[in-house]
Amino acid sequence: MASKSKRIAALVLTAMMATAALAGCSGGEEEEAPIPAPTTTSNSGSQSQKVDLSDPETVQFIKDTMAEEAAKNGGKIELKMWCASDDQNFEKTLIDDFKKDFEDSRYKITVKTLVKGESEAGGAVVEAPKKAADVFSFADDQLSTLLKAGAIAEVAPYYANNVKDENSADSISVSTSNSKLYAFPKTSDNGYFMYYDKRVFSDADVADMDTMIKKAADAGKNVYFNMGNAWYETGFFFTAGCTIKYENGVQTATLGTPEGLSAAKAMAHIAENEGKGFSGSPGQIGDNAYVAQGFDDGTLAAAVIGTWMGPTIKKSIGDANVGAAKLPTVLMDGEQKQLHSFGGYKLLGVNVFSEYPFSAQTLAYFLGSEANQIKRYETRGLIPTNAVAAAKDSIKDDPAFKAIEDQKAYAHPQGSSVGGVYWSSGVASIGGDLVNAKGNISDSELQTKLAAVEANMKV
Amino acid sequence: MDYLDYVQMTKGQRFVYKLKSFFTGIPRAIVGFFKAIGYFIKKFFVGIGNFFKGYGSRFAKGDAGTKLSYVIMGAGSMMHGQIIKGLIFLATEIGYILFMINFGAKYISKIYTSKLVFLDSLPDATTGYYKRGTAAVGRVVANVQQTLTGTTITNKKTMDNSNEIILFFVLTVLVTVAFLAVYIANTKTAYNTQQLRAQGKKPASFGEEMKTFLDDRFHITLLTLPILLLIIFNILPILFTILMAFTNYDEEHLVPMKLYQWVGMKNFADVFYADAKKSQTFGLILIWTLIWAFFATFSNFILGIIVALMINKKDIKFKGFWRTMFVLTAAIPQFITLLVMRLLLDDKSGAINQAFGTQFPFLTDWARVTIIVVNIWIGVPYTMLISSGLLMNIPEDLYESARIDGANAVQQFTKITFPYIFFVLTPYLITTFVGNINNFNVIFFLTRGGPEDPTTYANGAGKTDLLVTWLYKLTKDQNDFRLAAVIGILVFIICAVGSLITFNMSKASKNEEEFS
Amino acid sequence: MTNTKETTMKSGYAAKRKLTNAIVYVILSVMVLIWIFPIVWLVLQSFNTLDRVSTKLFPEGFTLKHYQTLFTDPNVPYGRWMLNTFVVALFSCIISTLFVLMVSYALSRLRFKSRKKLLNAGLILGMFPGFMSMAATYSIMEIFHLDGQLLALIIVYSSGAGLGYQVAKGFFDTIPRSLDEAARIDGATSNRIFWVIILPLSKPIIVYTALTTFLGPWADYIFVSYFMKDNDQNFTIALGLYQLLDNEHISTYFTTFCAGAVLIAIPITILFIFMQRYYVSGVTGGAVKG
Repeated sequence: MASKSKRIAALVLTAMMATAALAGCSGGEEEEAPIPAPTTTSNSGSQSQKVDLSDPETVQFIKDTMAEEAAKNGGKIELKMWCASDDQNFEKTLIDDFKKDFEDSRYKITVKTLVKGESEAGGAVVEAPKKAADVFSFADDQLSTLLKAGAIAEVAPYYANNVKDENSADSISVSTSNSKLYAFPKTSDNGYFMYYDKRVFSDADVADMDTMIKKAADAGKNVYFNMGNAWYETGFFFTAGCTIKYENGVQTATLGTPEGLSAAKAMAHIAENEGKGFSGSPGQIGDNAYVAQGFDDGTLAAAVIGTWMGPTIKKSIGDANVGAAKLPTVLMDGEQKQLHSFGGYKLLGVNVFSEYPFSAQTLAYFLGSEANQIKRYETRGLIPTNAVAAAKDSIKDDPAFKAIEDQKAYAHPQGSSVGGVYWSSGVASIGGDLVNAKGNISDSELQTKLAAVEANMKV
Repeated sequence: MDYLDYVQMTKGQRFVYKLKSFFTGIPRAIVGFFKAIGYFIKKFFVGIGNFFKGYGSRFAKGDAGTKLSYVIMGAGSMMHGQIIKGLIFLATEIGYILFMINFGAKYISKIYTSKLVFLDSLPDATTGYYKRGTAAVGRVVANVQQTLTGTTITNKKTMDNSNEIILFFVLTVLVTVAFLAVYIANTKTAYNTQQLRAQGKKPASFGEEMKTFLDDRFHITLLTLPILLLIIFNILPILFTILMAFTNYDEEHLVPMKLYQWVGMKNFADVFYADAKKSQTFGLILIWTLIWAFFATFSNFILGIIVALMINKKDIKFKGFWRTMFVLTAAIPQFITLLVMRLLLDDKSGAINQAFGTQFPFLTDWARVTIIVVNIWIGVPYTMLISSGLLMNIPEDLYESARIDGANAVQQFTKITFPYIFFVLTPYLITTFVGNINNFNVIFFLTRGGPEDPTTYANGAGKTDLLVTWLYKLTKDQNDFRLAAVIGILVFIICAVGSLITFNMSKASKNEEEFS
Repeated sequence: MTNTKETTMKSGYAAKRKLTNAIVYVILSVMVLIWIFPIVWLVLQSFNTLDRVSTKLFPEGFTLKHYQTLFTDPNVPYGRWMLNTFVVALFSCIISTLFVLMVSYALSRLRFKSRKKLLNAGLILGMFPGFMSMAATYSIMEIFHLDGQLLALIIVYSSGAGLGYQVAKGFFDTIPRSLDEAARIDGATSNRIFWVIILPLSKPIIVYTALTTFLGPWADYIFVSYFMKDNDQNFTIALGLYQLLDNEHISTYFTTFCAGAVLIAIPITILFIFMQRYYVSGVTGGAVKG
């Protein structure tokens, strides 16, 4: 009787000790990390170094360094990479090239590619960095999240100068924080412009929104602009001149101002036509599905969206009928104003917890190099950030590229404009509510909403 | 009323009596609940008192072996002839001491330092980043430099991880509690065997004791493994979550890059009053959660009974067919049916709105009503199935006498059928109500908590969010673990207190039943 | 006289009954239409020629290609998802059923000191939904290097099984104690009583527990979505199908989702329909005998 509970206790205890000891061992191992290199080393030697992947000596040097890394990990280099599902097949071909280029008898490279959309990669890295990919493709707005959590590695000095020299100045500036380079630019099309059906609109029609809506309504079709999505909607706030900044982890967005109200009223003016020449939200199925379906069944004649939908739209209405242009002007405060937008980049980042930091950096650099950016454009239609690649004729003549170039003067970088708190502030509901109410919301109510959203951003 | 009155009643009267006593029992049940809490606390302290009394008196009355087991575990058992048992005790003590030296002590000491920080070294003062970020890049630089200049860097540094510290701390505490239990058992065994020998009896051999695990102590054999898993994967995370609610573990302090700190009651204060918008959000979501749970539970319940009544009506043919048609929706996994519903009901491109050329805001303006209606679609088949069986159990003479009294079909339903089923299914209803408070699927798959309303809600919550879906979003999308932990604790308290009161109530009325 | 009166009364009564029956038939038919419409829509869409979401109530054409896609497209490793889910379901089913039987037998038939305390603790613990502490559970899995592994799912689904004893305990409570006592007089131990007397009588409750625990993993989204991260080799059917509807996939994989959903729904539905009478007696605590 007396020892009834002690058996249970003894068993619990032994099992716990076993598990604890087990966990203790493996935990301890992982906690070990080298201390930072002396600061003096980062400025010598490598600073003047220029990397040329076609130079055998350079390749040999890289291989030697990778071999050292492999030696520490049992002769293996095992990398994991994340990219969007549409890009998987293409990126895998590049990875095969990488393996061939850096093949060596001293180690064996394996690269596992897994699906993680660019819009969520940053969040996923931050959530579980030790389990995340070594190299990941992400949209530039997430750099702030990654930096805040300290989960992204600085670009190694060995490659940094090359990256800075080869890519456009804008793409470098969004990859930089406190004058340190953190990412390898990959594509410059993480922004939006307008695709339209040439059979419905002439080149002159697409200049202003009101004309477009009228024309579309006459044809029984709609112009699509996703006002219920903060990424698109924010274009209106930029147009009205609101200050939207994200610096040192602080979000500024002057939405509760007269400018903010002007933007909202301009949206209201357009949203009045919801269902009659204009469509302001995709419902629950999301942008891509809505646009695909709209061009396919003829309910859409124009859509504000990005390059990734180009192939689908072309398939639906025929290559020849697809036009691309910068965003139209909108009526704001009684005058036509050019609609602003977010212009962004897709970048490659390296995880700070990578067991193969140098190999990972090499892979990232390789994927973002000039030759591969050109290949990426040719196969996937994604616009390069590499200056030389972007200057190629075939790319320069691409309507989508032209549209992006035309919109550039009105495009704002995401990373320095908005942080995570901006998206979760509920800002999207302003446009969303306007669309639902067909623009019929009183000014005072809009003012309250704008002020509330602004307040939500101050954490 | 005494027993005689009760047995003289007809079946119907007995039923009415039972029902009445159920409802009149409500206030008593609430009082009883608080009494029970008081009783529990009293018992707890009395137990502790008795424990020390027994602990002391055993030592006083013990012989040398018993006294020795207070320091060297198993000594008493060995000296009284139970060698193997004694060795097991001894091994446990040695094991525990080794465990504490090599593992436990480290985490006990780290859990609370003078600066309320879990680490050896503070994070960088200007950036707030822990050194890890630069360390990895440093390694890259080091590798390159090594080849270029021939310098090597081999220093290693141990890093702390707040999650591991808390987790291992809790583990150490649990192991210590388990060890103390074994320790006490050790002293008790020593004393008991001492007494047995004093009476001239021989203590049980090890083999004999092992045999009792198949009979007298069979419950230990059966319960050990399930309880062990429960402790490691249910209780340990719950304790961890509770501790998390007192830290600043959020997106600014993500492990393993950074360390988080104790912040005392701040998170609870935020939710209750300190942060106006957060407390408003919590209040609104709590109210909506309760409203939702009420409507979701009772709409299903009533409609389910009605459908069951229709299918089971005497002359209705193809009963199996009707039943199967309804059961289909219950049988298909919910994530499929709910996602299909979402696509059908979509305001913009949903098949229903498209087919009729309408733009009903099913999932925005009407979302709260829509989810309750869709929940009816999901849930009615279950209630229908359950009440179908119960309907046949209702004593026919109840209806008979009702008909003689001239009651029509509706009256029969409200006076007999409904109360009867309600009475039998009370425990089921309580479980369903709690289940609906925690109903993740319907909300998450249909609206994801939307539509958003930033003027009234903070932290990404939407109009249809329940506390649990909000918790999920806080954990998965916003990495706001501290707020999620607070909400988890509060939901648990609400469910536990609520259902304990109601369970007590139904138990009270069931006890009445026993004398019939 | 009385006869005719009775017949007219009877025929009046019959007419009224016919009318109410007709009304019930109409209501039931309408309800059934509403209830099965979404399912019919899902099945029809799975044969639709489109890849994207259809806005029509009826499909534009007929094809079987989406069912082929499920087993040929490398982006949709449907067979893999099925296998993963089956493995997880099978093991959690075995472990959970064993645990439930062990715990409920101990708490129902055996008498020991801490029994009441365990019953109360179980009641309270059972009210804490596992996913409320999922961040903490994930940390534990991470320390054991189990995150992203199927084993983590098996553990999560079956570790709480010890708390699911109510239904089975209610069932064991109804088995007469005189059976045990008779066996005890013959010298049977508790262990023997469990195997020889109780288990053979518990078929309904074993079937009920096994089926519910087997069906659970096919429908769980919360834990898989939080535990699997990027490890798409270990996705289960729920997570795999769910991601086909995200913004990236829905415009090309919607009808494939439908096909996958139909294919998985068939066996689950059959199992559930087979199980329904056990389900009823389970939740009513034996108030209705199945």
